[in-house]
Amino acid sequence: MGTTASQLGKDLLSEYQELTFLTKQEILLAHKRFSELLTKDEKDVPNVRVPMERILTLPELKSNPFRKRICLVFSTSEHKDGSLTFEDFLDLLSAFSDSATMEIKSHYAFRIFDFDDDGTLDCDDLQQLVNCLTGETEDTRLTQDEMRQLISNILEESDIDKDGTVNLSEFQHVISRSPDFISSFKIVL
Amino acid sequence: MWPPNTESRLSKQYNDCLQLHRFNKLTWIGGKFGTSVQSYFVFLKWLLMFNVFSFLVNFGFITIPQLVYDFSPNVPNTTSFRGLEILTGAGYFNYTVMYYGSYSNETLEGAVDYKMQLGYFFTIAVYMVLCGIALIFSMASSFKANYVLADTTSGGAWQLLCSWDFSMTNERAVRQRKNNLRVQLKESLSEKAQRKQLTSSEKLRHFGIYLGAWLLSSSLTVGCGASIFFLCRYEQLHMSDTGGWSPHQEAETLLVPFMVSLMNMVVPLFFSLFNKFEHYSSQRRQIYVLVARNVLLRMCILGVLCYYWMNVVATEYSCWESVVGQALYRLVFVDFIFLLLGSFFGEFLSNVVGTRLLPRLGIPEFDVARNVLEIIYAQTLAWIGIYFSPLLPAIQILKFFILFYIKKVSLMQNCQPPRRTGRAAQMKTIFTALLFFPFFLGALAIVGYTAWSLTPSKHCGPFRGLDINVRARLRIVSFITQSLDFKMLFFILQEGKDKSFLLEKLQNLQKSQPNIRSKNHKKVGIPSLLARFS
Repeated sequence: MGTTASQLGKDLLSEYQELTFLTKQEILLAHKRFSELLTKDEKDVPNVRVPMERILTLPELKSNPFRKRICLVFSTSEHKDGSLTFEDFLDLLSAFSDSATMEIKSHYAFRIFDFDDDGTLDCDDLQQLVNCLTGETEDTRLTQDEMRQLISNILEESDIDKDGTVNLSEFQHVISRSPDFISSFKIVL
Repeated sequence: MWPPNTESRLSKQYNDCLQLHRFNKLTWIGGKFGTSVQSYFVFLKWLLMFNVFSFLVNFGFITIPQLVYDFSPNVPNTTSFRGLEILTGAGYFNYTVMYYGSYSNETLEGAVDYKMQLGYFFTIAVYMVLCGIALIFSMASSFKANYVLADTTSGGAWQLLCSWDFSMTNERAVRQRKNNLRVQLKESLSEKAQRKQLTSSEKLRHFGIYLGAWLLSSSLTVGCGASIFFLCRYEQLHMSDTGGWSPHQEAETLLVPFMVSLMNMVVPLFFSLFNKFEHYSSQRRQIYVLVARNVLLRMCILGVLCYYWMNVVATEYSCWESVVGQALYRLVFVDFIFLLLGSFFGEFLSNVVGTRLLPRLGIPEFDVARNVLEIIYAQTLAWIGIYFSPLLPAIQILKFFILFYIKKVSLMQNCQPPRRTGRAAQMKTIFTALLFFPFFLGALAIVGYTAWSLTPSKHCGPFRGLDINVRARLRIVSFITQSLDFKMLFFILQEGKDKSFLLEKLQNLQKSQPNIRSKNHKKVGIPSLLARFS
């Protein structure tokens, strides 16, 4: 850190500011934190891609139950390995920022919760979602009966077309009734 | 693309700013304890700003002219400064610029002719109006952001799942949150199962208990109000009107504030007890009912005190505004002591008991609703007191400042995050609405009624000797309108009209131009968009 090569130019900065919901300060902070993840040789490489394991060392993501899903959703790599470039990282922070709209946040929340990436939240996705939020070990999970009851409650609440899955519009509809969502779906560096 | 050769001075400057921003303690609190606890501290800071503004305005426009005009307070020889004044606000303080009574009613000659009556009236009026506007704006903006208040699926599973706080970074807090969420999910499952099995006789029983609890809490509230009134009467019978109180008598003036604060601390515990016996369909309704009962209790006590001041003190004391000012000072001070004690007992001792003596109880939670209500009440006292004691905001600033740090330390040492997650956004709307509707409007009504309808005292204060009747009020209004520089106002309004016309033109111009990089494209993501334009 400290070399001129890793500082962000003014025009690039304003372009990023145009394209994301982040302020100039936030972009510069993101740049600084991203550069801290790079090794010495990587600092001079353009469009460098940081593997997921290193991204997950960030304190803001380390304890998040959805950290792996977040990396996978925002990664633009062809191998779907969760590695992020700086622009992917900015995309991530933009979606999780204060000023992002409800549509953006619910769109990305849907993609994060969609564990099998098939475009709908079916029973398996919902089960994995609940397990993510309640605990990973055997004794902290809900029992099979409770899980089944919970999933049927969830589907009863949100599955409007009664097809057994929750698609994006049903998800957005149920999310819009929860004003806490927009303030809790936030990651700030 | 890392641009190699352009060094940006901007980024170096920003880096220095960011260092300060990173170590923002409030964000750290939000990360560990959740957004609802963070919102308490943000709210406290916001109220502190109100008081700073009030103090600056009062000191600048009311006290400084008075001090310049007449520097030394005209204290009679019998009273000197004893330490007791800090507690009771009477005695030596009575003759200083602390209270209404020490302000003159003349036009102060000097570099400018300063009409004290006008200055006093306008400063307080403008401050209250600005406060009201700030509160309305804040309420409107938070209501707009969180407009969904009617929750048809309250406690539903989706609400619980989607209220996961992504900004939590502390490992232990996350684990605790997961535990709490699991417990809540299980509770909501069992509640839903149970709801289907309620028979009509059970429903009747629940309703009966609910009604009984309301009756009990109302009678407790009315009883508290009545006892405060009789206590005030008792105190009045034992006090002389003019000064020259013995230290014993001065200490007796602390009896009423002590009882008020004691009731405000103890009676809500009874309300929580009643709450345990009642059966509620949702957690949220339970909290609302508890908050409503606490608010009614505090408003009843404040109402009784104001009634006593307006009807009894105003007619039977000579410099009654100062007397009311002193009573409010005492209330504020004793309330502060009780807040500290409450923090000590509620948080520190509970922690000690919960960890060492009775591990079953566990670490205490930080009760956001109770703490917010306490600071709203404290702020109401300050708002009522501004008219009678212009420098009361100074005490309030100290109080809130010390409270902020004590609560922060107590939170970090003694408490765990609240078990019930979420609802932070709605709570902020509700806090602001609570602040505005009963408490601010009540304070405004009291001050307005005092300024407009009550006869000011004859021998002290800026409005001394003014007789309040219809002709006198009309005279006051005409006096005010004559003094206002209407030409200046007209000029300012015209300027404003021109500027808004220009702004409208600019906006229309902007709308007519096509904007390629509109923010709607952000859904697509940066890489694809940059690819389109590179």
